[in-house]
Amino acid sequence: MPALRRIVHEIHSLEISAATRYEQHHLVVGRSRVEALFADPALASVRVHIAAPGDPVRIIAPLDVVEPRSKGSGGGAFPGWMAPVNRQRGGDIHVLRGATVLAAGFLPRNQEGLIDMSGPAAQLSPFGRTNNIVIEFDRADGASWQEAEIALRRGLLRVAVHLADAAVDAAPDTIEELAPPHRPGTPTGGLPRVGVITNLQTQGAFKDVFVYGRSMAGSLPTLFDPAEIEEGAVISGQYGHPALRNPTYLHQNHPVIAELRARDGRDLHFAGVVLCPEPVEQGDKELVSTHAAWLCRAAGFDAAIVTKEGAGNADNDLMLKVDALEADGLTAVALYAEMSGADGTGPPLVAGPRRGAIVSTGNYDQRVTLPAVERALGGARLRIADAEATAAVEVPTAAILSALSPLGAGRLTCRSNEEQPVGQKSVAEQSVGQKSVDQQLVGQQSGGTA
Amino acid sequence: MITNLVTIAEQVGAPRIVPGRGIPYPSGDPNLSPQAEQAWRRRLVQRALDAVATAVEHPTIFEVDVVERADA
Amino acid sequence: MRIVHYLNQFYAGLGGEETAGIGPRMLDGTVGPGRLLAQLLGDQHQIVATIVCGDNHAASNATASQELLDLARGAGAELVVAGPAFGSGRYGLACARLVAAADAAGLPALATMHPDNPGITDAGTAPVVAAGATAREMRPTLQRVAAAIAKLAAGATLTAGDGLVVKAARIGRLVEQRAAARAVELVLRRLAGDQQSTEVPVGGFDAVEPAAPVDKAASATVALVTEGAVVPAGNPDRLESARATRWLRYQIEGVDALASGEWESVAGGFATTAANADPNRLLPLDAARTLEREGAIGRLHGEFMVTVGNGTPVATARRFGVEWAAELRKAGVQAAILTAT
Repeated sequence: MPALRRIVHEIHSLEISAATRYEQHHLVVGRSRVEALFADPALASVRVHIAAPGDPVRIIAPLDVVEPRSKGSGGGAFPGWMAPVNRQRGGDIHVLRGATVLAAGFLPRNQEGLIDMSGPAAQLSPFGRTNNIVIEFDRADGASWQEAEIALRRGLLRVAVHLADAAVDAAPDTIEELAPPHRPGTPTGGLPRVGVITNLQTQGAFKDVFVYGRSMAGSLPTLFDPAEIEEGAVISGQYGHPALRNPTYLHQNHPVIAELRARDGRDLHFAGVVLCPEPVEQGDKELVSTHAAWLCRAAGFDAAIVTKEGAGNADNDLMLKVDALEADGLTAVALYAEMSGADGTGPPLVAGPRRGAIVSTGNYDQRVTLPAVERALGGARLRIADAEATAAVEVPTAAILSALSPLGAGRLTCRSNEEQPVGQKSVAEQSVGQKSVDQQLVGQQSGGTA
Repeated sequence: MITNLVTIAEQVGAPRIVPGRGIPYPSGDPNLSPQAEQAWRRRLVQRALDAVATAVEHPTIFEVDVVERADA
Repeated sequence: MRIVHYLNQFYAGLGGEETAGIGPRMLDGTVGPGRLLAQLLGDQHQIVATIVCGDNHAASNATASQELLDLARGAGAELVVAGPAFGSGRYGLACARLVAAADAAGLPALATMHPDNPGITDAGTAPVVAAGATAREMRPTLQRVAAAIAKLAAGATLTAGDGLVVKAARIGRLVEQRAAARAVELVLRRLAGDQQSTEVPVGGFDAVEPAAPVDKAASATVALVTEGAVVPAGNPDRLESARATRWLRYQIEGVDALASGEWESVAGGFATTAANADPNRLLPLDAARTLEREGAIGRLHGEFMVTVGNGTPVATARRFGVEWAAELRKAGVQAAILTAT
């Protein structure tokens, strides 16, 4: 099997016009073709919009986000949806880096979130910094929401391939070779073998993630080829907590895999990826966790970074896995979001591991003040704030899509400030009276590294 | 407390814990027939009643399947 | 300084649980722990009156703190001192709300309770001096409080050294490296032998003091409560599906089971299909009703309490717990079955 190569085309600007084409860093989106790719009995209509970094635009109720990718005329991207599962693996995959296609709009089981393309929240969502093709939609009369959701997912993937196809013959900006993980037993020269365990939410309709087109519910942990994830084998259909969501885009660009690759051969040996379901029953959670630890050991991991999707329920999976890994003699680090209340003085975790270590992806409850914007996509009202979609609002970080990315995409963390009396002004109050929390967030961005 | 997430319940210090079968249905089990589920729910609540009548000092799990002593 | 001292019904000597429902009232001079406090304060400061409220009344009536504040003002208070509440949640909540109201109204106030008391977050901008966990630590607690009062009277600000409860706030901020890179960094550091580094402490456990058991469930009043967001179909009272800010109560007197289509769960954290097909899977009313009829439960309480435990901060959930306990105690409930998702 040939190794996978990313053929990267960087997208700096978008435009909507008659026909799709790619010119040097500029992507022209053919409106009628994109609309046609969403044709489905469950959708009455779709509308295509653009939201670019810096635009005074708010995207309300974002659903899934996909990075345009294609393997060219032979196909093969998004196996299980756009390509057969048994196909030519590896080879070249064209990537429109800096672009996304995303759906936005009301879906009953979607926990409403937002993306701001400017202002403080633009720095907190990975999608406040990408050139987004935003698809609004209307469900067809008589279609169920579930049917509409499936139609949207298929549409997003079709458009993602269609757009990347436009760049297949263009000269790339960079070519990135993706070496497979080192097999167990490969001499490491003393470097530790480090891999990643990624838990996928598996709670049924609107709360599921697909691997090769099927839910992982009921599965045991499995060792996975990271090249397959690059090719789009993992697709999100999960609409829980917006800030704690892992849209398809973040699986395609799995941050922990990327960081492990970045240090592969220098500080560590990239040992591989284990995908796990997040079962809804305690006994199954324990089984999956114990088995994941066993699998990591069998695959020769010395250490594993563990990621999740979701809130308290998913925290339990993290906790059980870290404890199982450490009990088996592996070193474990988990990525958790904190839930310490708006003022940050509450307990940060509901359920944490007994051992191991934790990286914080920020505080779920911390308020962020968003200025008014000129235009909104995806809805006319922001229900969570009971406000006009374009209004200035204060929202918890929890509402900003992937702001607390459990896959580690974001630069948020939490630090204890100087101890302050319970009785003194809370952070939330400071955000009104003094320096706003978001200014503080932005102001601290070069505040050092962990 | 009837919950499926026993480890979390223990960690937050819940004194009396009766394990249920699923996070989304602490006092039920959709995999059972209606009659069997009724019986299961009844056993759960009965076990919870046992629990509140039992002195505990720290988080204690009251499994439904444990056979009770006559005086408990 | 003219001090008005707040106590609950128990420390005021008015009774235990049976009088926890009494409303705000004022007693002359010092009562109970106030006597020792007055002794420790010496001649310079005077406890001119003691104000009292039953724990259940204070925890479940929004206007109680305002009424208490009016009483304190009427007695010419220059400082309100509340507690010590030690670890007692309802009492702590009452103390915290009173000092918050006083402070907001410009009347200096000071509460004292254990730093882990779930009521502490309601103290707002008023200072809280640490008390011990139980009344066994009455004297050292009141010594700290007396010293703190003297310091306040001298116009100084309290610090952690005075027993002022301080809590570090964990503040979100953007850092140079993304979380994934920090995770790799941390794993390498741990592999190199550093077992201490972590961005969030691990291994902390909460402790809840277990309530004494009921004598017999067959003669007890038992309540059902849940964080599974079970509400009447259509969610008329708009319970949140995540990040609860409040809780609701619904009548179930004479209701034998939660019928599908009449009740539903609006929880956002789990798939609600099973619960909506049979809401008794979240709140076991049908089984509890049968057991009541058969005599295994003395009486099933006539309402259930509900909130959503999805992304709700621990501090908020603790406060709900204190409020529920007060409500249930007030209603004469001896045991509660909490179903949790």
